[in-house]
Amino acid sequence: MRKIFATSLLLASTSLSTFANASECGSVTIADMNWNSATLIANIDRFILEHGFDCDAELVPGDTMPTGTAMIEKGQPDIAPEFWSNSMKSALDQGVKDGRIRYAGVTLSDGGEEGFWVPAYMVEKDPSLATIAGIKANAKLFEHPEDPSKSAFMGCPAGWNCQISTSQLFEAMDLAASGFDLIDPGSGAGLSGSIAKAYEREEAWLGYYWAPTAVLGKYKMVKVDFGSGIDEKHFKECITQNDCLTPKATMYPPSAVDSVVTEEFAARAPEVMAYLSARSFKNAQMNELLAWMEDQQADGEYSVEHFINNYEDTWSAWVDSATAKKIKKAVSEL
Amino acid sequence: MSDSSWLSDIPQLDRHQLLDIRKTLDGAYRSFSREYGDSIEAFFDPLLTFLIWFEKLLLSSPWWLVIAVLAVFAYVASRSWKLTLGVVVAFFLIGFFGMWDNTMRTMSIILVSTLLAVIIGIPIGIAMARSDRVQSTVTPVLDIMQTMPAFVYLIPVVMLLGIGKIPGVIAVIIYAVPPVIRLTNLGIRLVDKEVLEAATAYGASPMQRLFGVQLPLAMPNIMAGINQTIMMALAMVVIASMIGVKGLGQPVLKSITNQYFTLGLMNGLAIVALAIIFDRISQSYAKRTLQNFGGH
Repeated sequence: MRKIFATSLLLASTSLSTFANASECGSVTIADMNWNSATLIANIDRFILEHGFDCDAELVPGDTMPTGTAMIEKGQPDIAPEFWSNSMKSALDQGVKDGRIRYAGVTLSDGGEEGFWVPAYMVEKDPSLATIAGIKANAKLFEHPEDPSKSAFMGCPAGWNCQISTSQLFEAMDLAASGFDLIDPGSGAGLSGSIAKAYEREEAWLGYYWAPTAVLGKYKMVKVDFGSGIDEKHFKECITQNDCLTPKATMYPPSAVDSVVTEEFAARAPEVMAYLSARSFKNAQMNELLAWMEDQQADGEYSVEHFINNYEDTWSAWVDSATAKKIKKAVSEL
Repeated sequence: MSDSSWLSDIPQLDRHQLLDIRKTLDGAYRSFSREYGDSIEAFFDPLLTFLIWFEKLLLSSPWWLVIAVLAVFAYVASRSWKLTLGVVVAFFLIGFFGMWDNTMRTMSIILVSTLLAVIIGIPIGIAMARSDRVQSTVTPVLDIMQTMPAFVYLIPVVMLLGIGKIPGVIAVIIYAVPPVIRLTNLGIRLVDKEVLEAATAYGASPMQRLFGVQLPLAMPNIMAGINQTIMMALAMVVIASMIGVKGLGQPVLKSITNQYFTLGLMNGLAIVALAIIFDRISQSYAKRTLQNFGGH
């Protein structure tokens, strides 16, 4: 307790001092979206902006849609660190055209990754399970919890966008003919719970999931190859549409995940823009970080400390050496 | 400087101690589920088979047969033509609006959960009525069961048993069993002392007193408890569908995430219709048992 008291005092004094010399950057608001990786990146941005660039940074909670809309219409918050831009593509493009917002950089260099996954221990035993043909041939492995004559495929929870793409691909690859039944896990927690259960007991599992997530960081899974390559046009026109009746197999195209900033902020703080355009994560690294967070049950602030201490190679490439020194000094004072 | 800080701040474990506690308990639970998960799953297998059989029975029976059976059931319980007609019309409308299959699924899980709740609840209620010690230990447990947010135990149950019907039924029973226990206890405790003394004077054994006097006289209260249990089980339908239980809850969830108001309303109304039907049937049955006693 003594330690916490001391740190809070220290934090208070440092933020006081940043008030004093926060000149060109000023006060910045960063969108803190409600899933783990977005929270982590928002906290990292806040720490680096506050200690490296002497900004007076503040996190504001918000989901994708409201944050995007507020940035375009009201110019607040200033930074959205992890924006899955496909989810409101047309509105964002319009905002860029109108000179209200700007894409600052690519947050996840591999893009958001979706797909059908099987646990790595299954593929180690039988490498053919990494392909859809191998899975169809071994459908009996994936026991259905309620019907021994069928095989289980964990789909996407009811009402989510991915429910459409999952069922279209399920249809396209004719998994039902191999005895698979598309199971609705009911909620995101249900889906990840079913992975955790299978993994702890080394049972068979096949289903939809996405990265970067703590689940895929913690449990090593292999993305199933549909043997089709990516047909982005067909994916957009058919796989994501409920009323398309002729779906064909295609892998999920990577989703763009960007940092978005308001035009006003981009003009005001060019040195922060340089940082944001350099700042990006690999999915494997992000999965690892998220898994660490979940294992430690760490909150955003604690995770930043871990990230700054253990991933210096990564973050020091995003800033110049003087700024890097300031950040290191700040973290050693924590 | 922190000597007097307990005056302004509440004494608190530091971050690492708290983390250690959380991690130790989580790890213990994980190794427990790894160790015993399979055998616990095997223990519930017969129940799962029964659930699947019952659902298939309801789904594969022709619709008019299901409605007819329900109507007969309603009439026998209530002896009221109005209620019977209401049942027929409500189920016909549910089918007409395309919710028949989901309603059958929900009904099967509700009926099985209620049956299990009664089988578990009435003996516990009797035990509570016979001993103040049991009553004072069981009551706080019931309080916890009724107020603990369902998701707190839902996800651990998923880790242990996977998603689907069994964890759903367990969650429903945890939430719905307290009323039948409480009201069985209350009903037996409210039986007149003099009636009991009279029974003892006629040489009734404790078993005869229980089954011949106490339980019949407590029946209206027990039926009220069962009625409440059914209502609470129906209220859990949507939550249970969050762990993959098929039924009326799934379209409701879907409409919440997508803001399909009509879809949500229609399925919500189907749940309400089920609730009203079960409520009226069990209540009028309870009323009739009470009248029977009045008549003697």
